[in-house]
Amino acid sequence: MEEITKYIESGILELYVMGDLTPAERAEVEEMSAKHPEIKSEIASIEVGLENYAKTYAVNPSDALRSKVLNQISPQNKTETVQETKVVEISQSGSSLFYKYAFAASLALLVMSIAALFVLNNKLQESNQQLAVLQSSNQQFSNRVNYMTEQLDKNKEALAILHNPEVKMVKLAGTKNAPKASMMVAFNPVKNEVMIDMKMMQMPENDDQHQYQLWALVDGKPVDLGVFDKQDNEDGMKKMKTISYAQAFAVTLEPKGGSVNPTMEQMMVMGAI
Amino acid sequence: MQISTKDQLSKKKITLSETDLIQALRQKDKIGAEALYDMYSSSLYGIIYRIVQHEEIAEDLLQEAFLKIWNSFNSFDPAKGRLFTWMANLVRNLSIDKIRSKDFRNNSKNQDIENTVNFIDEQRSTAINPDTLGVKDLVDKLKPDQKSILDLVYFRGYTHVEAAEELGIPLGTVKTRLRMAIITLRKFFN
Repeated sequence: MEEITKYIESGILELYVMGDLTPAERAEVEEMSAKHPEIKSEIASIEVGLENYAKTYAVNPSDALRSKVLNQISPQNKTETVQETKVVEISQSGSSLFYKYAFAASLALLVMSIAALFVLNNKLQESNQQLAVLQSSNQQFSNRVNYMTEQLDKNKEALAILHNPEVKMVKLAGTKNAPKASMMVAFNPVKNEVMIDMKMMQMPENDDQHQYQLWALVDGKPVDLGVFDKQDNEDGMKKMKTISYAQAFAVTLEPKGGSVNPTMEQMMVMGAI
Repeated sequence: MQISTKDQLSKKKITLSETDLIQALRQKDKIGAEALYDMYSSSLYGIIYRIVQHEEIAEDLLQEAFLKIWNSFNSFDPAKGRLFTWMANLVRNLSIDKIRSKDFRNNSKNQDIENTVNFIDEQRSTAINPDTLGVKDLVDKLKPDQKSILDLVYFRGYTHVEAAEELGIPLGTVKTRLRMAIITLRKFFN
């Protein structure tokens, strides 16, 4: 009971009647009012008090307003709605015109973009072709440079060997098996190096089953110095097995891979140091 | 002169009991609309006019309010309170929305807010309802601090929080003064 009195005296009911509460607070007051008749009658008294206060301070609107208000309430209701609809329609048609223009503009833009894309694509392909041509010629050029560098290196190497005072050049002359044959062997007894000059070689070409084999003659005994092939495009100096001392060099034609002992009948060239 | 005008009008004026009025309004009976206007237009207009302080705008708002009351009458629940309370809160909210709208703030050449209620009452004193007891007697009964707070909230559309800020007093004091003011009203009208 005391709680209800407190609730009433808090002033919340006055705020409720004047519409100055949050929806949650309002719901609470309505719940309390439904539960407690004292609260309900207190609210009613507040309402009557304020209603009388408003009546005391009432102001009459102009007389013309009465018919204006009453006329708009029922029959003219519809015309107002119609007018409202019209306004909406106008604004819609205005905006749809805008969308038409916008659509046309974007269509034109699309066509132009496609055309531009086509032209650019053609140019791109042209450029790609030119690039491919340039790349291949560049490749050819660098191949050529590589080849020439290789050649130069071989020549330098050969020249270095030829100019080296330690190196002895031994000319091997053709035997009766190959009277026109000849080749040069470079022998460096200090470094034990044996090289043959592939470029200056004058030998018949060997077939697939046979290879030439170089021998060193040391105190009348043949020592294997490795096999080689005679091919047209061979170039530079070819390093053979090492040996520290020899009196002569000879080349025989042996089965592919070489033999342990030289086949004397197949001796092609020979030369003494 | 004033009394004769009132007599002429009173012949046309329609008055119904609150129950009958609610019944008529629910059935969208035209007589309900007429009775509603005759019984409450001046009280509601008094609230609107004090908030917006502009005759033309106040009349437009009253028209809008009646249309709203008529169209949304289903949302009125008699179990929760009196019809006038519902309508008074409706017009108060409508008026507050109006004065807070941009076009109103740009247009209005507002008079100073402090003395509005008095200002209006001075200007339109002839319109004050002679049916009720004298305003002067009521003003004598209400203490000035109670009346100023009641008018701010009830006639000016302030929330009690805004009123507390405006007057520079605590919320609790605002609530107490409002309650005391309304108790004075209740005693006075009984």
